[in-house]
Amino acid sequence: MTVGSKVKQTLSSLKSAKSTIEIYATQSQNEEAAHAFREATGMVKGVINDLEKRIQTLEFEEPQYKGL
Amino acid sequence: MNEWIVILLRSIALFFLALILIRIMGKRQPARMNPFSFVNYAVIAIITALISLNVIKNLVLGLIALGIWVVLPIAVDFLAIKSKWVHDWVNGKATILVKDGKVMEENLIQVRYTGEELLRELRSKNAFNLADVEFAVMETTGDINVLLKSDKKPITPFDLGRKVAPQPESQTVILDGNMLNEPLSNLGLNQEWLNDQLERIGVSAANVFMGQVDGSGELYVDLFDDAMQVPKPKVKELVYANLEKARADLMSFALETKDNQAKDMYSKDAEKLKQVIEKLEPYLLR
Repeated sequence: MTVGSKVKQTLSSLKSAKSTIEIYATQSQNEEAAHAFREATGMVKGVINDLEKRIQTLEFEEPQYKGL
Repeated sequence: MNEWIVILLRSIALFFLALILIRIMGKRQPARMNPFSFVNYAVIAIITALISLNVIKNLVLGLIALGIWVVLPIAVDFLAIKSKWVHDWVNGKATILVKDGKVMEENLIQVRYTGEELLRELRSKNAFNLADVEFAVMETTGDINVLLKSDKKPITPFDLGRKVAPQPESQTVILDGNMLNEPLSNLGLNQEWLNDQLERIGVSAANVFMGQVDGSGELYVDLFDDAMQVPKPKVKELVYANLEKARADLMSFALETKDNQAKDMYSKDAEKLKQVIEKLEPYLLR
């Protein structure tokens, strides 16, 4: 397994976590809970952006593994 | 007129009259009444019975007596709300039986309790050791309420210094296989959402005896068919585990990479995820 594919795996699990947290942010009855979920979504989004950028760099460095 | 017809008519009329009067007098629990209220209700009941059985021949006189016993308590209740003095005079004051862990013997005599009776009441409040009791008070209703010593009190999340998610009340959305629209719309959901959720766990609404949606929007169902196993929602735990795993991954990437800039980014992101995990822990796990 290359570094690139490992990073991609982490990225996808983070994305799924983020979407679930987003669902909780909308369906929580309690304002405090909804706020915490929303804030968490923003932070996870930042991490996801970083990882996406990193993947681009990795694909540039190891073009033979692109798309895997 | 035949006597039996008189009694029949009086009984029917008084049945409804008593029903209305008791409703007017309020919904205080009979078991939690002070002794005088009990006497009051008893008098109303007896007068009603006597009129109904034609023992009190004169209907007007009976109704006057009944009216007085209904109106006066209501009037006194209103006065008690307005004036503290009337309130104390009517309801009496609570009597402190145990203070700072010491039994107040004079107060015990005042309410005519023996030590044994006090112990019995304490036991019924789950205080089996007198040594565990900090404070006990006899309310005006005769109930005894107990405050345990602070090291004997049940532990709460506050004592542990842990944050727990607020838990709003659950709404019952399915009863006897019927979807209830009002609680659903209270939650901002609709039948389509409910059908979707039911499909996900593989049951039809007709097979659900009770379905509740908790404060975080999770559906719990109890089926008519008890042999069938319903998957319990574990989504929150999964999200938590996912975040933990992602954080561990980021930390190992940070160790593996030789690119210093990337190393910084990975460890910074791992730190961010740690914050997210700490923030969401009370909501996801508790």
